[in-house]
Amino acid sequence: MKATALRHMLMRHAVMLVVCAAMLVPFYWVVKTALTGENIYEYPPHLLPKDPHLFNFVDVWYLIPFPRYLLNSVIVAVLAVLGNVVFNAMAGYALIMPFLGRRAIQLLLLACMLVPFQATIIPAYLITARLGLLNSYLGLALPLLSTIVCIFIFKASFEAIPRTLIDAARMDGLGDVRILLRVMLPLSKPAVATNVILSFIWSWNNFLWPLLITRDVQMQTLPLGLARFLSYIEDTTGALYAFVVMVLVPGLAVFLLAQKDFIRGLTAGASKG
Amino acid sequence: MTALAQRRRIRRTALIVCFLLPSLAIFLLYRILPLGWNVWLSFQSWSPLHPAHFIGLDNYAEMWSDDDVFWQSLRTTLLFMASAPIAIVLALGIALLVNSDLRGAAVYRTIVFLSYPLMTVAVGIIWRWMYDERGGLINYLLRETGLIDKPIPFLQSFSWALPSVIVADVWQVLGFYMIILLTGLQGVPLHLYEAARVDGAPAWAQFWRITLPMLRPSLFLCAVIGILNSFSSFDLVYVMTDGGPAHATELLVTWIYKTGFGQTRFDYAAALTVVQFGLLLVLTFLAHIASGGNAGAEK
Amino acid sequence: MRGWITSRFMLIALVLALLVGAWNLYVAAHAHGMVTGQVVDATGRPVAGAVVHMFGRDFVSEQERGHVLSDSNGGFRFDSNASHVVQLQAEKAGQKSPRMTIRLWFRAQDVDLMKPLVLR
Repeated sequence: MKATALRHMLMRHAVMLVVCAAMLVPFYWVVKTALTGENIYEYPPHLLPKDPHLFNFVDVWYLIPFPRYLLNSVIVAVLAVLGNVVFNAMAGYALIMPFLGRRAIQLLLLACMLVPFQATIIPAYLITARLGLLNSYLGLALPLLSTIVCIFIFKASFEAIPRTLIDAARMDGLGDVRILLRVMLPLSKPAVATNVILSFIWSWNNFLWPLLITRDVQMQTLPLGLARFLSYIEDTTGALYAFVVMVLVPGLAVFLLAQKDFIRGLTAGASKG
Repeated sequence: MTALAQRRRIRRTALIVCFLLPSLAIFLLYRILPLGWNVWLSFQSWSPLHPAHFIGLDNYAEMWSDDDVFWQSLRTTLLFMASAPIAIVLALGIALLVNSDLRGAAVYRTIVFLSYPLMTVAVGIIWRWMYDERGGLINYLLRETGLIDKPIPFLQSFSWALPSVIVADVWQVLGFYMIILLTGLQGVPLHLYEAARVDGAPAWAQFWRITLPMLRPSLFLCAVIGILNSFSSFDLVYVMTDGGPAHATELLVTWIYKTGFGQTRFDYAAALTVVQFGLLLVLTFLAHIASGGNAGAEK
Repeated sequence: MRGWITSRFMLIALVLALLVGAWNLYVAAHAHGMVTGQVVDATGRPVAGAVVHMFGRDFVSEQERGHVLSDSNGGFRFDSNASHVVQLQAEKAGQKSPRMTIRLWFRAQDVDLMKPLVLR
């Protein structure tokens, strides 16, 4: 009995190791190529980087306006994160108060979740054009400023706070804005964290929307810069892969630091759909 | 007193409206209004240079009889969706392995999930490189092990391009399925298994009779994500093949982008979008029924 | 409040900010575009009066950015390199050194070359 249990466990480990290898090998291959010195098209390819050096990263920094792309991406991400935390907290707070039409609004929000962004691109572009926001930071961030999933995350978190606490605060003469700021938000730190992380990652990775509304190289974000780099110099040097690594690192770092909040937020959001 | 209460009520209402307004305005602008505008636009003949006029179903008629690429992209989109069940079964297997009392399960889970939050454009470039004829690892391994003599130009070949893109897509989204199924597995009450063990039910029977039925809501979620994923894989296709070769990997969404923003035919692209959205609704509804009616309902 | 400041996110942001700041200070202090080195002959003796050419290189083209003469110890010095990748080649009386590619960590980084340019 003991022996079969052991064998089972070993087999499970073996299967998981194979799966993990399949998941990690593409990363390794890209990092290896980013470090490779000269000819990346040599056949057979080397499994370890040949003459490894880090100068591909320097090349990326200067070959394309990398600092500018980085700045654009960061600005849009900051706008999206701020918008999400502020607007979603406000909407979540409104949704725990009893008022006429609350159910209708909740249903409306749930229905909106079924509309994928890709199904709205043409009117969304035309609307943004009418607003005069093409090629601007606000235009880039506007559709990302509030997310339905995150509103429900806030709502669930606020609902878990005992009603008596809110009533007591109200007795003390605190207005709703203060209650939200002083009572609700400090008690909903995980919800805030989830909001920050999800909106950062969504904004950081967003490609289709910037592709539609930026006309100017100076306004492009990192994913666009990456796609442009690919078509511009083709994949002839390790620099492209160095670029990929540079773009992936912030997202990976944020994810690994806040894995728990991220996964919780995603699953909470998914089960609302 | 009543006047005070009245005033308080008005203030409360004003506050709720103010709090909801920013979010609702954004959803109105970028979800609801576009949906209506899309439908309206699909019955018009319109481009930035021509004033709009009503043409009825002409856009749809053109799609039906004259647009081969539309049919090709519809086929590709459906094939893309058809890959979701395979990925979900894979993810279920992994979730079952990780859910057990395995040492280091958390590490395995993180690694499998790692690719999901990454920028899809970068994932596309990673896989382009994996499939490369000379520098790519896949061709190298296949040649080393003697499975093939000549390198396969995966992304340039009409028959290989779509499966290759699908593999990359599954690689990215697998971890998300796994996490959803894991959450579902952890919700299965343990006493059910204990009861089954007392009755002497073998492991496979426990899986079929307890685990799978209890997982229905999670499986429904995975199916919906799989359906949505075939629409949101724009980034991946754009970078890896740009719909080529000969539209072999053209998705509906990439074709919408090309007609709308490449050929400036917003009216026709809107009609395509309506079809895409209709397809999405129908398939979600079918998945809803297949998973036993109220599986996706809110608690 | 203290919990927020000492959380790992704040700490990491702080460390990153410090590193970026330190790096920028370092760059500012070492970006004069000075490239110094030495020209020797095949036997390793310094060569005076050799012409050292500097080529700018990018992915499209390659062009000469300037040249200097080596002094009595074979030493040479450029003071206005603005690039992050350059190639150097020394030349005297029909003898040429192989082109040496110099990759820098940032534009106009000051470097003193370890290896001399060898005429042959």
